[in-house]
Amino acid sequence: MGCYCSTSKKTEAQGYEEPTVLASVTPCEYHDPSLNVTVSEVEALHELYKKLSNSIIEDGLIHREEFQLALFRNKNKKNLFADRIFDLFDLKRNGVIEFGEFVRSLGVFHPNAALEDKITFAFRLYDLRQTGFIEREELKEMVLALLHESDLELSDDMIETIVDKTFSDADINGDGRIDQDEWKAFVSKHPSLIKNMTLPYLKDITLAFPSFVTGTDIEESEM
Amino acid sequence: MKKVRRKIGKYEVGRTIGEGTFAKVKFARNSETGDSVAIKIMAKTTILQHRMVEQIKREISIMKIVRNPNIVRLHEVLASQTRIYIILEFVMGGELYDKIVQQGKLSENESRRYFQQLIDTVDHCHRKGVYHRDLKPENLLLDAYGNLKVSDFGLSALTKQGVDLLHTTCGTPNYVAPEVLSNRGYDGAAADVWSCGVILYVLMAGYLPFEEADLPTLYRRINAAEFVCPFWFSADTKSFIQKILDPNPKTRVKIEEIRKEPWFKKNYFPVKLGEDEQVNLDDVRAVFDDIEDQYVAERSEITEGGPLIMNAFEMIALSQGLNLSPLFDRLQDNVKRQTRFVSRKPAKVIISSIEAVAESMGLKVHSRNYKVRLEGVSANRVGPFAVVLEVFEVAPSLFMVDVRRATGDTFDYHKFYMNFCAKLGNIIWRPAGTMPNSNLLKQMTL
Repeated sequence: MGCYCSTSKKTEAQGYEEPTVLASVTPCEYHDPSLNVTVSEVEALHELYKKLSNSIIEDGLIHREEFQLALFRNKNKKNLFADRIFDLFDLKRNGVIEFGEFVRSLGVFHPNAALEDKITFAFRLYDLRQTGFIEREELKEMVLALLHESDLELSDDMIETIVDKTFSDADINGDGRIDQDEWKAFVSKHPSLIKNMTLPYLKDITLAFPSFVTGTDIEESEM
Repeated sequence: MKKVRRKIGKYEVGRTIGEGTFAKVKFARNSETGDSVAIKIMAKTTILQHRMVEQIKREISIMKIVRNPNIVRLHEVLASQTRIYIILEFVMGGELYDKIVQQGKLSENESRRYFQQLIDTVDHCHRKGVYHRDLKPENLLLDAYGNLKVSDFGLSALTKQGVDLLHTTCGTPNYVAPEVLSNRGYDGAAADVWSCGVILYVLMAGYLPFEEADLPTLYRRINAAEFVCPFWFSADTKSFIQKILDPNPKTRVKIEEIRKEPWFKKNYFPVKLGEDEQVNLDDVRAVFDDIEDQYVAERSEITEGGPLIMNAFEMIALSQGLNLSPLFDRLQDNVKRQTRFVSRKPAKVIISSIEAVAESMGLKVHSRNYKVRLEGVSANRVGPFAVVLEVFEVAPSLFMVDVRRATGDTFDYHKFYMNFCAKLGNIIWRPAGTMPNSNLLKQMTL
């Protein structure tokens, strides 16, 4: 008990927020992703967060290299999409992911998160230049990134054909870009597009870190 | 590769998404518009055996009458020789009930938003003389945008005259108004208001206001409106709910009064209804009057299916950078390189080439619908080894073949992949100027 308490204090870092605050209801927000995580899930995520945030620089914050290391087991591996996810998780835009940002952002990936939030997150992910639309050039850039990642080469004509076909399907009003409503309609037709937006692990995360389930139990019995 | 495609009229039928006592619900697609629908399928014999013709006819007519953005829309009714098909709007967000069970209580603002939509919907029905009488979270669905969709008008009635006097209660006890439980004549509008109040309580508390192990105690508590608001309900919320859960239907707050309440009006945006369309009940009459020449065609087409079509966003979703599972999965091997190739050969030629090469390598081959599973023993004989290949059409005459290790050692897999692609060389497309097999040969010698 004493050891646990002192350990808990030592691990507090810049940006640390009490788990109960993060898991509690935020009345002024309709779709607060933190509604999707419970107190014990926040505790378990904190254990994971500590591991990630101290893997290269021991400052209790997740840097881009640490994020890349976690995803690819290689801190120098660049990936357009991983960068986009890092940028979206970094809610304060200060170049690091703090624990509160980590919990709130992962909330969208919880199996119980609202479908609308997953659709919106994916839209913001693919809106590379944050114009509020998915532009045709952005989609082409992403297709090229995927092909490069797969060591595939296609002619420019082929890539244009792939992008054209998708745009003719998704761009309902024909203005040359995809807005949020068009994106929602497109995802409704192709639900597999947001398959990546759900991480089943988040439902079982307290089983992956059993020591913290025990810790939570002890804390609860004290009250 | 033959594929069985089941069709009912213009609807291509897919997987079963629900099953009840009298009906099965299937996902389907309108082949003319591409829209998703849900088809409720009922056997005529079952309907006749249980004397449900009038009830179902009433249910269908009511759903046609009460058209509203927050009500699951009924598109049409069809019949074949043996079955009745009700074509409904497909609602893809699941049940509000599931959200509460999994997530627990909702915030006050989120609860208010659902409640506002619920009241708008119920009010719309009441103005048309329709009362739901079985409102509960299980009948409230969520669409892709998180908006409410009310379903299941099975117990609705156009007028009191239709009420079956043999029924002791219409709905689920926990959500039912006291006057309904006491089996007196009752006002459907007031009863629905009570049910809305119970739903609001459940959304904000995460549990029922009236829940007892034995029915007599439950009924007594409901009749007395004996409930306690949890500490996290604000004073305004408490006051509002108490006005709704008034056991006296005459003094209970009415919908027009609810609309004037400050609690209700916060962040309220009324739904803009389209003009009332002329309701056409011809298809309902045709179905139930057994007019044979209007039977719908049921077909099971044997078609030559092509590979799945992959759009640009589905390609992008294959990226390792969009897969966050490695954050959690500590047992994962070192991340492998992506393994896929493109081809301009016809899809059937790709499949037959894959099969031929795999057999020449001594692998067992299982093919189905442009998906191939290859099985064998690893090169070092340590254990079983399996690979799955799937062909996708990414543009006309352009296919991507995704190759994934299913079981076995990572190192064995990569050795296999190099060897396999070298043998497949003639169907793998590379841009002009690239020396055939030069990259593969180079990698093999490393």
